[in-house]
Amino acid sequence: MNVAAPTTSIARAKTAGRPVGAKARIRVKGLGKRYGTLEVFRNIDLEVGDREIVAIVGPSGCGKTTLLRCIDGLLPASEGEIWVNDQRITQPIASVAMVFQHFGLFPWKTVYANIAYGLKLAGATTAEIAERVPRFIAMVGLSGFEHAYPYQISGGMQQRCGLARALAVEPNVLLMDEPFAAVDAQTREILQFELLRIWESRPTAMVFVTHSIEEAVLMGDRVVVLKGRPSGIHETITVDLPRPRSRGTLREPRFAELRERVWGILMSEARAAEFHLEK
Amino acid sequence: MRRESIHRLLPFVLSLAAGMALWEIVGRHTSAAFMVPLSETIHRFWQLAASGQLGTQFLDSATLFATGFALALLVGMPAGLLLARVQSLRVAIEPYIMILYATPMVALIPFILSLMGFGFAPKVLVVFLFAVFPILYNTIEGARSIKPELIEVARSYRSREWALWREVMVPYTLPFTMTGVRQAIGRALVGMVAAEFFLSSTGLGQLIMTATQNFDTGGVFAIILVIGLIGVGLMRFGLYIETYFARWRD
Repeated sequence: MNVAAPTTSIARAKTAGRPVGAKARIRVKGLGKRYGTLEVFRNIDLEVGDREIVAIVGPSGCGKTTLLRCIDGLLPASEGEIWVNDQRITQPIASVAMVFQHFGLFPWKTVYANIAYGLKLAGATTAEIAERVPRFIAMVGLSGFEHAYPYQISGGMQQRCGLARALAVEPNVLLMDEPFAAVDAQTREILQFELLRIWESRPTAMVFVTHSIEEAVLMGDRVVVLKGRPSGIHETITVDLPRPRSRGTLREPRFAELRERVWGILMSEARAAEFHLEK
Repeated sequence: MRRESIHRLLPFVLSLAAGMALWEIVGRHTSAAFMVPLSETIHRFWQLAASGQLGTQFLDSATLFATGFALALLVGMPAGLLLARVQSLRVAIEPYIMILYATPMVALIPFILSLMGFGFAPKVLVVFLFAVFPILYNTIEGARSIKPELIEVARSYRSREWALWREVMVPYTLPFTMTGVRQAIGRALVGMVAAEFFLSSTGLGQLIMTATQNFDTGGVFAIILVIGLIGVGLMRFGLYIETYFARWRD
């Protein structure tokens, strides 16, 4: 219940709290990343429980996406360790799937073939693919578009396809890299609730990177705020809104309160940057 | 729709008819040593076809063309993908490719003759050399333009190198390779005739040589016409496969 960590405090809450789920799926310990002399973030400690959604927000360029790529094993960390499902991450592993901001669909593959891609690489037989792919096509509402190429469908539908591709490999960790940032506002809202509905039916651990405060509060069990240069976890806000969350959640006073709180934390950063108050 | 196609067809038909008429008229008023009218050319074509000579030599040329071209594709595409994927290899080899691509291949024929003699193999090599560079070059350029995001997606799904080629590099690059194939068709045709002229004389090239030596101007024109029409047909085919492999592009 208690989310009233001091808003004005500049003290850094380094550990992002205890995961809600029984078991930590993701454990990030003392993670740092730098490119040459440019240090992106440092000293990140984060645990994400089974069936828990952790939203990461922060100003542009704070390294949210870089952090996510490290967790996926696409980028090597400069310091610290990442463990997913008790496996040390040095490269992408099978039980983790990522959904990309740019969708990452293969334009020469149809919707069906794109969704089948992960299964195919994982060594699924044609029969298994034929059995599973239509289920995921139906789940994300793309029935009837199986044989369309990506350029023939809207951005929202393309991301539905990207989501289905990730879900089809039945991961227990989903990494969402600003998945709805490239679609229009209405589509974004529709997709948010679709994702929540799908997640309710098959909850996984999820890290949801976004720069939308509303989206972070709507999705997350916790909202992690990345700030500073190099950035670190500035504060973690527990979102005590009940699940399943729906459009009604957006109208709850508690939602507005939490949104304002995250807003306040991010804005103090923006003001500080503006007036060069930070060292 | 129908009206439009007539508007497009009419100038084409008129121009063709005018060209044929001009050929006929000029041909009738020129010495047969230089030029013969269209009717005579067609007459000679039928004679050559009926004698079986045209068919035999056509098959001979087609075999040479197909062998050289198939080799060019089999070498050009994988080599292009490899050079696109391995940067150090590309940097090392690209100057040689540039030089060979820019060299008029005809200039190499005497060298090939002295090296390999008069058999089938040196002629195949000539066709191959004419055809391979556009295929290679377009494949390299195409494969290099793959978006890094898509390679990252493949890595995220734990793609191995072979799967990366099969699922990403080859399908993405095919339309570019096919552009190379279309360009290579015209060059390979030149290579074919040049090889038949300058190396052992066979095929349609030999028919032209023989006809020239016999002052059979009608025969010469007939064969040139045949080669030209084959060229147009192959270019059309090339354009078709290029479009086919690029059907996923918007």
